Amino acid sequence: MEDSMYQVYEDEIQSLEEEIKLLAEKYEDSQQESTFFSDEEILMSIKSFQGEFQRELKGHESPSDLKVQLESLETDLSFLMKFTGIRFTTHSKKTVEKTGSRTIQKHRLSGNCHSLPFQLEFQLLEIKNKESVSAVITDLNIIMESGEYSGVSKFVSSTEEHGNLLAFFRSLSSYAEWYEHRRCTFLHFKAKYPDIVKLPEGLLGDYIVLRNPKPSGFELMIVWKIHVDEDGRITPVLDLLTKVPEQVLEQKIATTENAPTCFRSMLLLFGIETAIENLIRVVGLKN
Amino acid sequence: MEEGRAYSRDGVLSHLEMLEAQAHELALKQEETEQQEEKLDRLKARVQELRLQRDELRAKVDLQQKRLLGKEGVVTSGVLGAAQPSDRAVLEWKVKSVQAMLQVFYLTGISGKLTKHGVCFCISTAYEGTYLDSYHLDLITKPEVQIRRHSVPVFIPLEQLAKKYLQTDIKRFLSALSDHLNAYAGRRYQADQLQERFSDRLEGTLQRNSLCNMLVFNYNTAGKKQTFPFSAKLLYGDLCRSLPTEAVVSCTPGAPASLAERTAAHSDVFRRLALHKAFESFSSPEESLDQAP
Repeated sequence: MEDSMYQVYEDEIQSLEEEIKLLAEKYEDSQQESTFFSDEEILMSIKSFQGEFQRELKGHESPSDLKVQLESLETDLSFLMKFTGIRFTTHSKKTVEKTGSRTIQKHRLSGNCHSLPFQLEFQLLEIKNKESVSAVITDLNIIMESGEYSGVSKFVSSTEEHGNLLAFFRSLSSYAEWYEHRRCTFLHFKAKYPDIVKLPEGLLGDYIVLRNPKPSGFELMIVWKIHVDEDGRITPVLDLLTKVPEQVLEQKIATTENAPTCFRSMLLLFGIETAIENLIRVVGLKN
Repeated sequence: MEEGRAYSRDGVLSHLEMLEAQAHELALKQEETEQQEEKLDRLKARVQELRLQRDELRAKVDLQQKRLLGKEGVVTSGVLGAAQPSDRAVLEWKVKSVQAMLQVFYLTGISGKLTKHGVCFCISTAYEGTYLDSYHLDLITKPEVQIRRHSVPVFIPLEQLAKKYLQTDIKRFLSALSDHLNAYAGRRYQADQLQERFSDRLEGTLQRNSLCNMLVFNYNTAGKKQTFPFSAKLLYGDLCRSLPTEAVVSCTPGAPASLAERTAAHSDVFRRLALHKAFESFSSPEESLDQAP
């Protein structure tokens, strides 16, 4: 009899404690998510924090611990950004729903991967069960310039549909590396052979033209596309196009016809840079 | 007289004993009741205390939400009611902010932190928006890159990949490892989903190897049937993909022709769609017509 009387109170105590915990978390989350301090403000606080330490020695976390913790976290973050090439320039998070076991947060992110900018937003649903926490992405929206190749936009739509944030970043990382590699290679050859190498679409275009300065009409175009398949796999696809004037065509049919095949073999044997360099030398010799 | 006195003395004594016992019992009961009352009072007081705390918090949160809705943009004061946030509050805000960004890196697939001897990387896996297990690699970076500890399962070719890439290009190593791990996690997830959601269409349990690149099962296309006319063997030849490269589907010899005709179509579906989605497509009206009782 008495037990059931206790039970009523004990149940209420437990439910009140849970409610208090959730309310406190909601307050903390809202404070965190609606506040913003600039880097200068942070630096100022770090400096004056040192002074404060001399004056007050209480607190659950000593000032130097907090500063050390912040430095360690920032070092980790900066390492990750440098290593992966993914830099986040803005990140905002808003807790949309929070109960005992479920949390839904809306994230907005923008940044770039090497030189490619992106913007995205998504909802992250976290469910706590007995042993672990499960995380699911929903409502993924990605804004990214697809550039010249429709493979990218197709892939982006597919990842949006399935909420496949991880696959998006993995492929973006690979694509951006190839994009950067291509740009660097074009830049290198343009600088080394300025008379022969032409970039009609600039460094960010997907082809270069090799032309002998002595006007002979002979031209080679190397097309370098970065292909994205439906699984998000990235492969470089290079090809050679020749533009040959009539007279040369009559004389050297065999060479010009074989050129694309030759180029592909060279790519396989020597890699991209050496293959391109060989072609440049060939064009440079022709008269 | 002796007897009489003895009798009456015993009577008095036992009566006294009885009274003493009764008094003792009463005292005990009283103590018990007092304790119960005290406990009840304590509980009541605690409830009052918590109710008060809860109400104060509610008011605080309501006020905060009103302020946030009223203002455009962000609030730069870290503490409710204070004109200037304390330095500690600013730093705590920054710590939480950096922690949140590190958590986002987890979502991108490769995250980690620096250690005194190198780096500890964390490779996360996911299948279409659902995050699955993550795996750790503790690397030493000097004098040369070496794997100190890891949680990668033994059937993933870690050694091979390390030999090929670890010394020259750590990023490429992690990328290749991530491809393997994500594909494995995806295959396992599909098999688990099939077992969980379509167990009524499977005969017994799905047979699989630890790498989940070979699955064998007998099934039907509409649940709650007694027979499982179809038999499938799925082979995942490419370890970096989560779709099978080969799907051998056969029908039991005595089955009706209408079923036997569908094996080619099923084989095609298994190679194109994820396993659980393939079974979802099997419950379409055309399929269930074949399974009319």
